[in-house]
Amino acid sequence: MKQFQESEGYKIIDAWMSEKGQKPFDFQMQTWEYYGKGYSGMVVAPTGFGKTFSVFLAVVIDYLNHPETYKKGLKLLWISPLRSLAKDLAKAMNTAVEEIGLDWTVEVRNGDTPQKDRRRQERLMPDVLLTTPETLHILYSQKNNSRFFKSVRCIAVDEWHELLGSKRGVLTELALSRILAISKSLQIFGITATIGNLEEALKVLIPYVGFKTKMIVAKEKKKLNIISVLPDEIEVLPWAGHMGVKMTSKIVPIIYENNTTLIFTNTRNQSEVWYQHILKQAPDLAGQIAIHHGSIDFELRNWIEDSISDGHLKAVVCTSSLDLGVDFKPVDCVIQIGSPKGIARFMQRAGRSGHSPYETSKIYFVPTHSLELIEASALKQAVKDRRIENREPMVLTFDVLIQYMVTLAVGEGFDQKELFHSISKVHAFHYMTEEDWQWALKFITEGGNTLKSYEEYHKVVKDDDGLYKVKSRRISMLHRMNIGAIVGDAMLKVKFFSGGYVGMVEEYFVSKLNPGDHFILAGRVLEIVTIKDMTVLVKRSKRKSAITPSWMGGRLPLSSYLSQYLREKLSESLHPKTTEKELRFLHPLVSRQEAHSHIPKKDEFLVEMIETKDGHHLFMYPFEGRLIHEVMAALIAYRLSLLKPLTFTIAMNDYGFELLSDQEIPLNEKSIEAILSKDNLMDDVIGSINASEMASRKFRDIAVISGLVVQSQPGNRKNNKSLQSSSGLIFRVLEDYEPQNLLLRQAYTEVFNQQLEEVRLKEAFERISKSKIIIKFAKSFTPLSFPIKVDSLRESVTSEDLDQRIKRIRDEVLRQTQID
Amino acid sequence: MVTKEILCRDEILTLTNQRALFWKRENMLVLSDLHIGKTAHFRKAGIAIPSQILQNDLKRLESLIGNFDVETVLFVGDLFHAEINKDMDEFINWKQKFSNIKFELIKGNHDRLKDSFYQNLEISTFKTHKDVLPFRFVHDANHCNDDTFCISGHTHPGVVIYGRGKTRIKLPCFELSENQLVLPAFSEFTGLNTIRSFETSVCYGFTESSLFEL
Repeated sequence: MKQFQESEGYKIIDAWMSEKGQKPFDFQMQTWEYYGKGYSGMVVAPTGFGKTFSVFLAVVIDYLNHPETYKKGLKLLWISPLRSLAKDLAKAMNTAVEEIGLDWTVEVRNGDTPQKDRRRQERLMPDVLLTTPETLHILYSQKNNSRFFKSVRCIAVDEWHELLGSKRGVLTELALSRILAISKSLQIFGITATIGNLEEALKVLIPYVGFKTKMIVAKEKKKLNIISVLPDEIEVLPWAGHMGVKMTSKIVPIIYENNTTLIFTNTRNQSEVWYQHILKQAPDLAGQIAIHHGSIDFELRNWIEDSISDGHLKAVVCTSSLDLGVDFKPVDCVIQIGSPKGIARFMQRAGRSGHSPYETSKIYFVPTHSLELIEASALKQAVKDRRIENREPMVLTFDVLIQYMVTLAVGEGFDQKELFHSISKVHAFHYMTEEDWQWALKFITEGGNTLKSYEEYHKVVKDDDGLYKVKSRRISMLHRMNIGAIVGDAMLKVKFFSGGYVGMVEEYFVSKLNPGDHFILAGRVLEIVTIKDMTVLVKRSKRKSAITPSWMGGRLPLSSYLSQYLREKLSESLHPKTTEKELRFLHPLVSRQEAHSHIPKKDEFLVEMIETKDGHHLFMYPFEGRLIHEVMAALIAYRLSLLKPLTFTIAMNDYGFELLSDQEIPLNEKSIEAILSKDNLMDDVIGSINASEMASRKFRDIAVISGLVVQSQPGNRKNNKSLQSSSGLIFRVLEDYEPQNLLLRQAYTEVFNQQLEEVRLKEAFERISKSKIIIKFAKSFTPLSFPIKVDSLRESVTSEDLDQRIKRIRDEVLRQTQID
Repeated sequence: MVTKEILCRDEILTLTNQRALFWKRENMLVLSDLHIGKTAHFRKAGIAIPSQILQNDLKRLESLIGNFDVETVLFVGDLFHAEINKDMDEFINWKQKFSNIKFELIKGNHDRLKDSFYQNLEISTFKTHKDVLPFRFVHDANHCNDDTFCISGHTHPGVVIYGRGKTRIKLPCFELSENQLVLPAFSEFTGLNTIRSFETSVCYGFTESSLFEL
């Protein structure tokens, strides 16, 4: 350490920092020193503590110490998942470089970079380039691109936890492997927030032998203040629901009390509804409150983000669209509406307030229905215990591999042996076999394995020099447009008839509307004039209310860590500690559940059989989240139907699921064990679901990423119309004609890993088999079953009479209680 | 093959689960949206679609011709998908086996090849429609008129059947309404459109082994 502190480079940086009245954090010092010793590694630190400067200044210091070892051109390549981050980072780095008196240039390159800047960069790369994984791959598709990377000494991967666990992470792994093959002396540093599997995250980023690696974890911890927002009395909170707008009157004062508040909702639809309700409650906030989500015009979102930074806004209602991104200094308060579904996400959102070091982040949790109060209590405990979810890295994603191979073929071409060697060292393809590789090679050159069945297909050809290349300009062009691993939904643009872009809505939503109908987007009531060319033309409407679009895929799965805490808190809820104000508040409801049925303890599994005039209901409460419950419900229905042929209606939420039948369900103390058995689990699951249909849905992304489906950009009528086909169609065709296709196999694997969550499902049944099973019979819905029942109603009726129906059922339940 | 006879304007029409319709009175096989050249068009753009799809489509057409006493094959549009490519050779070779059968085409939105091309192939073409009373044959229902029953293609009709849980399957179908019958797309490499043109439509969906009213 001492020796390092005496180095010229360190002294310069230390002097520069103390001039600004700053002192390096320990983890920054460590990073600088280890970098100087030739280490690679990963920096783990909370946001706001100068993670960026740990790695950036490490390179600067090393350069100042040994300028002679650095070549002209690109030195530090900075990969970040977000475009919006790059701009601000570059600004901060440029300021530093200038103040230190270094002759470096720092530039951004991404989809927004103007043509002339790109050409300039291609003539002479800046010393530091900030980019995204996708843009890097697009660079790889250029002729003669190796020269850009020959001088690179360090690759920094920012927000690695965001990339890890997605196909963008695999894109990043592949991007790194290429530079490793080009640059002689390379160091790699990941920068991440805390996740459950840090060691693995480091291994995935740097799986290479010969690299000295070090994990540097900051001691500094972000202080977090979690405040539950409770209504004045429990009756105000609905027993079920997910909007929670009844709590508007409670959050308006919070908005007034703070400078700038970010209000996180779980879906775009929910954010539109909340925006309307806040404005109704506090009309004077008009102009000081905005709405931000993924379907709102990009320019408008940028403007909103700038306005937050400048402190012009009191509140912004948003979705995960603001989970990440640039630091908003004025934000001093965050409100989470409804369950955040995961501990990491909750902490990340909380961290968006009180951004500077040592400031406390403040987050209000607003339950949307009564039972969510248990979640508030669970979250507090989880944050206290610092139990944060893992990010599981993806492996053997052949769609990304195919895309990467074609990218290289469009660029400089590749030698198949060398590339195989390089790719099999990448974590994601460590277990790829020689056979798989030959298939991939055949797929891009001949279309598939079957002899002569892919005539006229010459996507990639082996050139005279032995390199695999793309010769057709059209194919190159189509491929460049398609690079990346983010696949959007089929969306339509929404534009004003008079000009001006509002945002996007799903095709599915629009298909139910006609000209003259009204809907809400970006907080505005709009009337449809006409729909043509993937564009919905609208005009402003004077109406005050209308329907809000529903966007599919808005439902996040509940993390397994959080579900574990949920079960614990529920079992404690009958006798809450004095400090647990949420559980105390909930007590009337919990007692009712205990009186009419049961509150499951930690080692118990509750099954409720309820008979109403609708039929025979079976409720189970695994608390594993909606996705797993969907699979479990189908499985239980399947096993029951083996005992007696029955037809079921299935409903579920994050806590449990319901099977409804018009006939008696053959379930009792005797048969229950077989029904919940962990034996033959996966066989029965396969028997109970339509795996082919699920795989077909998963195949959508795979088809787009691997280039089997040409994505139509909304509004962009750049023809290619004759190349339109649906991924479902291609899936069907491949199942018929080439069932051994690896992309098909990948779709099934993704179903098992992501949809059925095989590992978690097995664990759940393991746990249930060890639990004491409690069967309770009830005459009316219990507080636990009620929300599930309501969710199933939601799917069959429109929202107006839904509220009434909920009220009616609840009144019936309450009356029943009084009679008892 | 599974067939079903329906009565339409006092004429008997035979629907098949092989994506085509047979009209006994005229000994006419009617089909739509064969999209020859589509798979090759995709392959040329670097999208790997197997060419056996066309071979299968043609095989199916051949067995339909063998099964009925066919004098005329009427394509109600979109016979060819795009430019001339190798799939055409396959079709031309195939067609030579049927010199005694009349081939006719109502031009669809995809049929943009030169007239001489069709002439050389000995396919007579109609620009928008052909009337064989009591029916009018068109590609796109825009060319129907109010008093004649219209037999068309173009939309690639399909139906969704919902199963237990959240499962659903999509099947191709014939879509019958008061004044119109829409044929399913003949080619297997076509998507399915499940939005109905009329609320009162009756659909005849089919699978490999069945044909049923929905």
